[in-house]
Amino acid sequence: MSVIELENATKIYSIGEVETRALDGVSLTIEEGEFTTIVGPSGSGKTTMLQLMGVLDQPNSGIVKINGQDVTKFKANKRADLRREMIGFIFQFFALVPVLNAYENVELPLLLNNVKPAERKERVMTLLEAVGLSDRIKHRPDQLSGGQQQRVAIARALSTDPLLVLADEPTANLDTENGQQAMEIMERLNKDTGTAFVFATHDPRVVSFARRVVEMQDGKIINNGTVL
Amino acid sequence: MAIKKFWVIAYRDLIRNRRRTILTLVAVALGMMILIMMSGLIAGMVAGGLRDNIRLNTGHLQLRDDTYEIEKLSLLSRDLLQDSDSLISKAEALSEVQSAAPVLWASGVLSTVRESTGLAVTGIDPADDFHAPVRDGIVAGKYLKADDRGQILIGKRLADDMDIIVGQRVSLAMGGADGQVDEGIFTVTGLFNTGIINYDQNTVIMPLAQAQTFSNSGNRASSIIVMLKDQEDTAKVAAALQAPGIQVLTWEDLNAILLTLMETAGAFYYVLYIIVILVVAVLIANTLLMSVFERTRELGILASLGMKGRQIMLMVLFEAVILALLGVAAGLVLGATVVAYLARVGISFSADAMGSIEGMALGSKMYPAFAPGDAITLSLLMFFIVSLVSIYPAWYAARMEPVKALHAL
Repeated sequence: MSVIELENATKIYSIGEVETRALDGVSLTIEEGEFTTIVGPSGSGKTTMLQLMGVLDQPNSGIVKINGQDVTKFKANKRADLRREMIGFIFQFFALVPVLNAYENVELPLLLNNVKPAERKERVMTLLEAVGLSDRIKHRPDQLSGGQQQRVAIARALSTDPLLVLADEPTANLDTENGQQAMEIMERLNKDTGTAFVFATHDPRVVSFARRVVEMQDGKIINNGTVL
Repeated sequence: MAIKKFWVIAYRDLIRNRRRTILTLVAVALGMMILIMMSGLIAGMVAGGLRDNIRLNTGHLQLRDDTYEIEKLSLLSRDLLQDSDSLISKAEALSEVQSAAPVLWASGVLSTVRESTGLAVTGIDPADDFHAPVRDGIVAGKYLKADDRGQILIGKRLADDMDIIVGQRVSLAMGGADGQVDEGIFTVTGLFNTGIINYDQNTVIMPLAQAQTFSNSGNRASSIIVMLKDQEDTAKVAAALQAPGIQVLTWEDLNAILLTLMETAGAFYYVLYIIVILVVAVLIANTLLMSVFERTRELGILASLGMKGRQIMLMVLFEAVILALLGVAAGLVLGATVVAYLARVGISFSADAMGSIEGMALGSKMYPAFAPGDAITLSLLMFFIVSLVSIYPAWYAARMEPVKALHAL
């Protein structure tokens, strides 16, 4: 079943009188459980596509469907609901809430979803254990290494058991070892949970893990890839 | 559930930038302290002004003839109290009454060889405790005795204005009960300084018996000034002293102009309060706005996690609420402490500020008074306005587009 469908999606950014066509009539379908990488040079539209998939932004034209539902025209609050319930995000700069410790960062999406305390605790501990950080639960982001922060971010992205995790350059700020470790964790969690992962990356290490590679150039998909 | 975490995030965000938070808290606390002190000063001024005027001029109650009009200072026998002694006895028989003093008021003209001035002449029983402020305020010469004749007291300010010294003989012209103006030569036996400028500049005091004789008023009096042990008993005593042909005036009637003036001044001070509160509120709003700018990326992250605009708004507002609550509480404690201290030691005013000099019996010191009602109102007002103004940075944070906020990465 399709988790995400983009149909002829176009996104144009205007800066002053200059218009940039970041996405130009792109169509892409992501199925349940996929582990897909979108690759392409800088400015090819990878991040923009991820933002449309994550309903962080809306296309100027075209359709975005999540779980079969057209969400293109959803208002801000409904889009927030969708993100909270169905989508997890992993960013290049780890993007943890600096005033919350590892446990609380992973717990936050569950709190927003009104998950009961006992269930919340179990879920957070399971995930932190899965990413190898059960002994770092009280540590704030500034007390964790980059690799550890990204692992917390992975746990947080999966905390609500989403349909889809979107990761934008997740290894860009990690050294080889930590990058490899993060990818291995995500691959394992993808297999264990069935959650689809979509990466936007330049990093060959990420590409090597992908079971499908979508290539982009100048806002268009030039190779839709095949699910392996 | 999430609300609790919003409080935690708001609190931790505040302690994350301790210096800024402390500076903001200090500003709020100082603002609140200023408000409490202003309100204390005003309350003290109102209470003190009223207390002084009651003590020196009006008393808590006055008994006058029905037809007496204070503006005219009439000495006509129909306007004066005929049997002041029985009224005094009746008043003094009440346990709530501290003293009941007869006075005779007249208008007069005081002249030296060089100049003349119009003023009020007051005949008093020097032994009566009501006149203690004058007795205690003698700065030169001596106080009067009931049987003194040909002797008067004048205010130090009046003496300075007219170059009169103790022992000097002056001319005093005064209208009499028969409508004729009589003039006499009096010796200034003493100078008083009550600290109440108007009183010290425009009053001549002489023994009641002499005033009655000089004005041909027999043993009549303009008014009986009643002082109570407790001001709260005013209505009760006023009711007890009601009698046909007598008007019983309470301190509220007698100080109506003063009370109205104070009320008007109070409204003006509220404008000042609001200005102080707005300055503090804008400061907090600015702090929060800076904090929101600095956390654009974080707010983008929270939005990407599915936090709604109103939840982000609430989180920022919680910061304002914490700042306002702590600042208001600290300011309240500081302000109340300062007011309590000043209420004990009083604030001395310079002679210029008070328009008077040494030896004042009243008005030389001002005693602020902590006004709990005002303090509560001002605290709520500060809290409400700070929260209201903080809606802007909160709204600004809430309406950030997640994508733009994340671009701050």
